[in-house]
Amino acid sequence: MKKNRTLIFLFMAPTVICLLLMYVYPVLRTVIMSVFRVEDLTSGVGEWTFNGFANYVKIFHNASFITSLKNFLAIWIVGGVITLALSLLIAVILTSKIRFQGFFRAAIYLPNVISAVALATMWVQYIFNYDYGLLNQLVTFLGFDKVRWLGTDAKLWAMIAAFIYGSVGYYMLIYISGIEGIPTDLYEAATIDGASKGRQFFSITLPLLKGIVKTTITFWTINAATFYLWSKLFSPVQTEGSTIVPVIYLYDTVFGGKGVIERDAGAGAAVGVVLTIIIIVVYVITEKLLKSNDLEY
Amino acid sequence: MKKLLSMILVAAMVLALGCTAFADGGTEINFWSMWNEGEPQANVIAAAAEAYEAETGIHVNIEWKGRDINTLLTASLDAGDAIDIFEDDFNRIGQVYTEWTYDLTDMAEAAGYEGYACFNDQSIAWAGYLNSITEQPQVGGVFYNKDAFAEAGIEAEPTTWAEFLDVCAKLKDAGIAPLAQDGAYTNFSFYYHLVRYLGEDGIAELRDNGGWADSEGAVQAAQDIIDLVNAGYLAEGAPDEYPSSQTKVGLGTAAMVVCANYVTAEVNAAVGEEVNWGLFNYPSVEGGAEPTAAYAGANSLAIASYSEHPQEAFDFIMFLVTGEWDQKMADEAAQIPADPNNTAPAALTGTIETLKAADKPMTWCGSLNTHPAWGDMKTMFTELFEGKYESGADFCAAMDALY
Repeated sequence: MKKNRTLIFLFMAPTVICLLLMYVYPVLRTVIMSVFRVEDLTSGVGEWTFNGFANYVKIFHNASFITSLKNFLAIWIVGGVITLALSLLIAVILTSKIRFQGFFRAAIYLPNVISAVALATMWVQYIFNYDYGLLNQLVTFLGFDKVRWLGTDAKLWAMIAAFIYGSVGYYMLIYISGIEGIPTDLYEAATIDGASKGRQFFSITLPLLKGIVKTTITFWTINAATFYLWSKLFSPVQTEGSTIVPVIYLYDTVFGGKGVIERDAGAGAAVGVVLTIIIIVVYVITEKLLKSNDLEY
Repeated sequence: MKKLLSMILVAAMVLALGCTAFADGGTEINFWSMWNEGEPQANVIAAAAEAYEAETGIHVNIEWKGRDINTLLTASLDAGDAIDIFEDDFNRIGQVYTEWTYDLTDMAEAAGYEGYACFNDQSIAWAGYLNSITEQPQVGGVFYNKDAFAEAGIEAEPTTWAEFLDVCAKLKDAGIAPLAQDGAYTNFSFYYHLVRYLGEDGIAELRDNGGWADSEGAVQAAQDIIDLVNAGYLAEGAPDEYPSSQTKVGLGTAAMVVCANYVTAEVNAAVGEEVNWGLFNYPSVEGGAEPTAAYAGANSLAIASYSEHPQEAFDFIMFLVTGEWDQKMADEAAQIPADPNNTAPAALTGTIETLKAADKPMTWCGSLNTHPAWGDMKTMFTELFEGKYESGADFCAAMDALY
């Protein structure tokens, strides 16, 4: 059949145009903006002043941005290891034919269907609250002094703990779908050969889940790099150093904060570029380290 | 049948055209509000718009944009979106949106508008002309529960730091925590104290050049807070997570809180009853550079420079911020009236006089919040109230380390 090139272009045009306008253009504009001095997000190109890498120098010399990067790393590494390990463990348990697995799946996934605003409010006001929070009730019941869970030392970790609670169910479902795709005869053969459950996990489940693990690491990295809502909810009045993350810093830089009228869209664009580079680097490293296509089943 | 159907369709078309012509005939002004539908302020604005339409025939089309209106305004004004009136912090109207604001000087003069000199003068200083009209003024200071003071036998409001500490001691003896403090406002509280010692210009010098440890005022200000904490004058758990600590003033377990006047409405709403509020200016310190300045801010209204109905928009603004509707706003949203001739709610007694007397209002941490390490500074201010520094000198040395 002869190809009708015009028709192909016509069918492709809407998608290509949308992609160019809504994705490629903003990305290119952001990258270009990051090397210009731009005050307002909507300033015309004629008002931009080229300043090379000054925006990057500025943000990397800014103590608040460095703090936000440190907080991001804590969320990404500590939160990531705990969330992914916990969700994998739960997924393995829930696919091992235990009783009430349907109930447990639903219960663990439940936080994902609740609004993050409601979830964070619950943690801040009812679990971490100094006077009547669940944790301090427990602490005083055990005979210890109350703890300031949302003090400057602990607030980041409290926020990470709450975020982990809200995220485990999502990653658990991804792992469950991966585990259920592994042929059961592999486990039956291993059982006949006398392999323990632990051996089966490390020799069958984990190697065959490499592709899924890679995906979840990328998803988690994107979640951590774009972390915003939880930080806002744990610092509702104004940005705080203990919970600041790069996107909050970006937002405050572009739009100004409470009582702050200074704005710098160019520096905000530089933050966006740095975050994108971080995500790409993590993606490339996980691609290199976890090759999923060397096993077939 | 076909004829009947044709006649019905023609009649419908004529009716529709007639309606359109009628709608086009009336004037409509577009108002972008910083409130969300259903909030007390929004309810008053919506009711005022209806009353204004009934009186003048001018329809006010309100769009509720919420607190993040600042993220939309620059782009929308720049694009020439259909906006006649917009509402935001007067700082931003005066310093960020100036390019798109209408000069209100002549209309204000013709209308005999007075308002508060501190906001009008500041607007003119920033923009070069009057570019906003005060709608919801705010004033800062020490808000206290009068019942708690009475219970502790305190009759006079303190005016100096020494008197303030005496009041704290009496409250503590009466079993009432003297001062509530949420972590979200530690920067505001400490900034207030610093202003008393150094003034905002003195703080700006420290922001630009460092030298906190060499500044006797800064060291003493930090030492005062450390002494306050060590004396046990903060409410249990303070600095707490907003709004836990400030709510204790409403519950009667704490007596005072340093904040702006909206704290009264927030606490009243949290405890579900009208607290017997009092207010006094932040105490002065011995030998301090700035003994009396009080924080003052405002949400204000501005008219877009390209508005096709500036006079109608201005008339609606006057309708809202003076007389009957301003009084309703003050009463229903528990706010300071924008019209100094109106009456403040009982909880805010004295605020109108404070604002009228304020010649140069104190900013919200304005001399520090542009420092690149402002985020870390805020954390350190909270740590100061957490009692993490041995002395004022230690705190100031840590501040210098940020430079």
